[in-house]
Amino acid sequence: MNRQCLVKWEVSADTREEAICELLDEFSFRETTRELLRIALETREVAQPTIVHEGIAMPHCRSILVDDFMIVLGRSEQGIPWPDDEVNLIILFISPVKATGPAEHLELIKHLVKVLRSGGAEKALAAKTPEEIAKILKFDYKKAASDE
Amino acid sequence: MNRELEKLISLHDLDVMISDLVNKDISKQEKKLGLSPDVALSQLQKMREELVATIDRRHREMYDRLAKHYGNAVVPVVNRRCSGCFTKLPTAMMSSSSGKDVVTTCPTCGRFIYQCD
Ligand SMILES: [Zn+2]
Repeated sequence: MNRQCLVKWEVSADTREEAICELLDEFSFRETTRELLRIALETREVAQPTIVHEGIAMPHCRSILVDDFMIVLGRSEQGIPWPDDEVNLIILFISPVKATGPAEHLELIKHLVKVLRSGGAEKALAAKTPEEIAKILKFDYKKAASDE
Repeated sequence: MNRELEKLISLHDLDVMISDLVNKDISKQEKKLGLSPDVALSQLQKMREELVATIDRRHREMYDRLAKHYGNAVVPVVNRRCSGCFTKLPTAMMSSSSGKDVVTTCPTCGRFIYQCD
């Protein structure tokens, strides 16, 4: 799938809320946008935690605040309470709201179902580098501006 | 940004999440990921009711009317244009002093419009 993703290799957050903030900070959103996206992602998590595999959470939403897909992967060796299960990998994405939005959002979820359910989940959890984890999940790895 | 406008954006985001979970194809895939879209849906609907109760009645009614008519009641301003109807907005509307404390609507289509920060 030719979608770009950022990777935060060592997420230092101790809680789900902090982890979502830390991952959103990988993008250069303006303050209000970041805050509203945080609210949207947390709302979805409060409605139901998005644990998609043992050790993997997938916080996601669609929002009018982005005009393209925003995907960031976060790794935590120590694990983050989510809040009842511990996760070591976070796949966070925000899909745009536009005419083709639902179809593209569906396509991305389908992609993740396919990859994660065909051994990708275990491989992604065992990945040793940001490049490797992006490759396993079949995204194009993009270095964050802060990494360059 | 105006607090009321922030609530309207959150309401719009919630409505999008709800419509996605109602979407059979999306909920089917979410189930394959081990999620329970039905549980999430009923929770989000409750949260929507709670949020709506905090929004000014006039704005709430406008939101419902616009959402019903256009499918989206809140849109961003992109390159000084309302991204709902693409009308170029008057410069005065774009000044930093206005728009901060009021809920702004597009003079042409009436949608709520926002500029980020
Ligand atoms: Zn308009």
